[in-house]
Amino acid sequence: MNLDAALQTFIAESRELLEDMENALLNVDLACDTGEAIAAIFRAAHTIKGSAGLFSLDHIVAFTHVVESLLDEVRDCRVVLNDEMIVLLLSCCDFLNGMIDGLATGNFESDPDTKAEGEMLLAQLRRHMACACEEPAEGALAIPAEPGVERIGDGGGEERGDNDFWHISLRFGRGVLQNGMDPIAFLRYLAKLGTIKAIATLPDALPLAEDMDAELCYLGFEIAFDSPADKEAIEGVFEFAADDCDIRIIAPRSKVSHYVDLIRALPEQAARLGDILVRCGSVTARELEAALNQQHAGEGAPGEAAPPQPLGSILVEGGNVPPVVVEAALAKQKQVSDQKAQESRSIRIDSEKLDKLIDLVGELIIAGARANMIGQHIQNAELQECTSILSGLVEEVRDAALELRMVKIGATFNRFQRVVHDVARELGKDIGLIVSGEDAELDKTVVEKIGDPLMHLVRNAMDHGIESGEARVAAGKPAKGMIKLNAFHESGSIVIEVSDDGGGLRKDKIFAKAVERGLVDPERKMSDSEIYNLIFEAGFSTAEKITNLSGRGVGMDVVKRNITALRGSVDIGSREGQGTTVTVRLPLTLAIIDGFLVQVGSSIFVVPLDMIEECIEYATEPGQDYCNLRGQVLPFIRLRQLFRIDGACTRRESIVVLKLGALRAGLVVDTLLGEFQTVIKPLSPIFSEVKCISGSTILGSGEVALIVDVAALMHTVGGRAAAIAA
Amino acid sequence: MSANAAVSQFAIDGEFTIYRAADLKTELLDALRKTQVLEVNLGGVTELDTAGLQVLMLAKQTAHADKRELHLVAHSPAVVEIFQMLDLGAFFGDAVLIH
Amino acid sequence: MSNLIQSAVNGNSNGNGGGIAAYGSNALAVLQGSGGPLPSQYLTFLSGADTYAVGILHIKEIIEYGSLATVPMMPACVRGVINLRGAVVPVMDLAARFGGAPSGISKRSCIVIVEVQGAEDECKQVLGMLVDAVNAVVEIAAGDIEQPPSFGTRIRPDFIAGIGKAGGKFVTLLDIERVLSTEEIVELARTTAPAFA
Repeated sequence: MNLDAALQTFIAESRELLEDMENALLNVDLACDTGEAIAAIFRAAHTIKGSAGLFSLDHIVAFTHVVESLLDEVRDCRVVLNDEMIVLLLSCCDFLNGMIDGLATGNFESDPDTKAEGEMLLAQLRRHMACACEEPAEGALAIPAEPGVERIGDGGGEERGDNDFWHISLRFGRGVLQNGMDPIAFLRYLAKLGTIKAIATLPDALPLAEDMDAELCYLGFEIAFDSPADKEAIEGVFEFAADDCDIRIIAPRSKVSHYVDLIRALPEQAARLGDILVRCGSVTARELEAALNQQHAGEGAPGEAAPPQPLGSILVEGGNVPPVVVEAALAKQKQVSDQKAQESRSIRIDSEKLDKLIDLVGELIIAGARANMIGQHIQNAELQECTSILSGLVEEVRDAALELRMVKIGATFNRFQRVVHDVARELGKDIGLIVSGEDAELDKTVVEKIGDPLMHLVRNAMDHGIESGEARVAAGKPAKGMIKLNAFHESGSIVIEVSDDGGGLRKDKIFAKAVERGLVDPERKMSDSEIYNLIFEAGFSTAEKITNLSGRGVGMDVVKRNITALRGSVDIGSREGQGTTVTVRLPLTLAIIDGFLVQVGSSIFVVPLDMIEECIEYATEPGQDYCNLRGQVLPFIRLRQLFRIDGACTRRESIVVLKLGALRAGLVVDTLLGEFQTVIKPLSPIFSEVKCISGSTILGSGEVALIVDVAALMHTVGGRAAAIAA
Repeated sequence: MSANAAVSQFAIDGEFTIYRAADLKTELLDALRKTQVLEVNLGGVTELDTAGLQVLMLAKQTAHADKRELHLVAHSPAVVEIFQMLDLGAFFGDAVLIH
Repeated sequence: MSNLIQSAVNGNSNGNGGGIAAYGSNALAVLQGSGGPLPSQYLTFLSGADTYAVGILHIKEIIEYGSLATVPMMPACVRGVINLRGAVVPVMDLAARFGGAPSGISKRSCIVIVEVQGAEDECKQVLGMLVDAVNAVVEIAAGDIEQPPSFGTRIRPDFIAGIGKAGGKFVTLLDIERVLSTEEIVELARTTAPAFA
């Protein structure tokens, strides 16, 4: 087995489990089924512990064990899950994440630097557990009662009864004495493995005196046994008597639902019912064999109409497994097979392989475009038909390949639940998070890189946007502030909105600060939008108090830069007293573009097809800035002018009507060249200051064409459009 | 112990194990049938195994069924050890002197 | 690397192949040489009537001047971009970079493709330099290199790595990282780019 690959899988899965755990912890009070939420939290810890054990990662096992123990008590309603505990458990999640990160860098031992922190967490965990003894649980978060479930060995008395001990049931066979063995000797030996806490000697099988044969054994024993040994070891005690004795052993703390939960918490593998029960320890391999033999015996008998008994029912009849446990095992088996079906539907891919595939698809597209061009050039109908089909197929492959890279933004959004929770506590404000549009998909690389900027925007909104509880109430707002994250698709982009219902931006303060910093001329007239955008200037911060989180002025300009680096744009809208919305616009994909070619002078440009509403032939007058398109004002963007392209204007011009959100503009060009799909080649960082160009691409002819950034182009007319409309 | 019932004595010595279990069973039950109250002296028992224990338990059950009384006395260390390990005090109901 | 230069020498699809044939083959021979390029070898070339040299370890290939797409709103020293086997590579006009007039294109004009490290945390970048003509590859021992004078040079002193002696003549060795510095060019672009009305 490749240990390294297995370890990588463990790391990846543990991270996912810790994420699940975190989400469950944050949502436990919102969950409809708190029992299920708590079980999920327990499962995560339990699975990590089990898997860590496989790799002998003792430090992880030891830590997770204590977490698991506490969670177990929560599950059993012996401890109430309160706010303080949630925070503690979240810290434990972080600590575990740290240990997993340590693993990823090759550190297989516990880190001495974090040892103290770990000890402290463990102490706090234990403290919560110790409290449980004094306060039996009866809290709001108590697990709803599970009907019909029995606690084995519970005399109905105190919580810690037989439960902590093994229960061994012995029914010696008649011939055990004649076979030279003495039950008492076995019990003596058993006592070496632990302490026999209670024993009942059962002479129930003793017949009447006349019928009793002194050399046969009629005795049975019921034993409560306290021992750290496992089931196999205990069974081993009775190894020699195995054939002459019915031995049944049930593990400590054997509430039936424990078995149920335990089975459900097992790491998934395809398993027959028997295997599941063996793994959960309710039966041993030997018993399984006996049951199987019984089952097969049933099958083999000729002439028997009765179908072979399912393994589960044999075991129940054999008295080994309480019925509820068997049901759970069957449910689990079904669940496992369902999950297997689902697992086989998804597969982990190395992202490098995916990137390589996309690259190849890109080259395929370029090659296909060339073939197309040649076909057109030499005017061979058959070739043209072939290349046309080829292009169609390449397009489909392209779409399918790009789909592979798309991930839902929901996962990113959900991380923010934790952030909002923690930050709200830090700030002493009551703030909630509403998330919508989680299903919106975007490119994997974009998702990865947008996380940090969004994080900063959210923190900012919480720190500076949302007012304190008192201020809000005084202003007639609900005391709880709300942050909203929303995502949706629009004209070939993905739009992410971060809004808050806080105090809004103070235009005057911002302007004043900008003047103070020398960023802006005090006499300058700026639109509201322009003033708000001053926030993105480097070194800007109007926060009166620089907090731990923000206000140090290093934030917003970095946010904007990061977003721009992704070929996106960011905008702010605000209403004083009501709130602020930051709108981030990002391209859906960084890889391939459906474009429309236009020519100005001798330069060819690509306009993203998604941004085009229509194309019209139109001869403009020199100096004409706009025209009337079906009753609406359409401002012009003259590329020749903007890009300082040499050459005389042609008389026959064309206008490409661009649409971005609610804005429209007409791009004035010389010639329309047609649709064209191709791979985006990012431009060298040397060109990062060229705002209106977002990338480049290679045409079928081998020439380079530049891709225009429609959002940036629209900005050039933004002011003008407002002026005209006014 | 019933005041006016005759109390018979029965002593078991040596190894009270499977090898003598059959015989001791016969003897013990015979002795039991002849009296209302039987006192079994275990002071001389050097070893007790399951077979022997079974005989004692059978005798106790039989006595109960026949509405007689069976008492064990002078439990030897060997007997005490077994009785303690198997928690048989309640079953027999006799006072056990710990040596 | 040698294969690519081979194809470059054999001529691109457009334009004549005669440009670098005479000198290029000499350079080619050295670049394809038995032991591979040595740190003491430099490619000499002409730009704006002056001769300069760049260590050949930086040089990936030499190609003819072909079709080039101009990029708007960039300073004159950035001529545009070309398609280099599917990669879009920026091309710098060396003459313009040194403060002179943009290069005229002649039969012998070439683009020298170089690789520069850039800043610490940046990845390597591939750029093209537009030069008037490519000369030979020369061997200059470290002992034959002198520090540049701190004044009186025709180009910025910090562009010069040293003055080398080759074949009895002095050759200006360029600090190519500095000449093609992304940071500087971006700064130039920032001041060049017109503000939006």
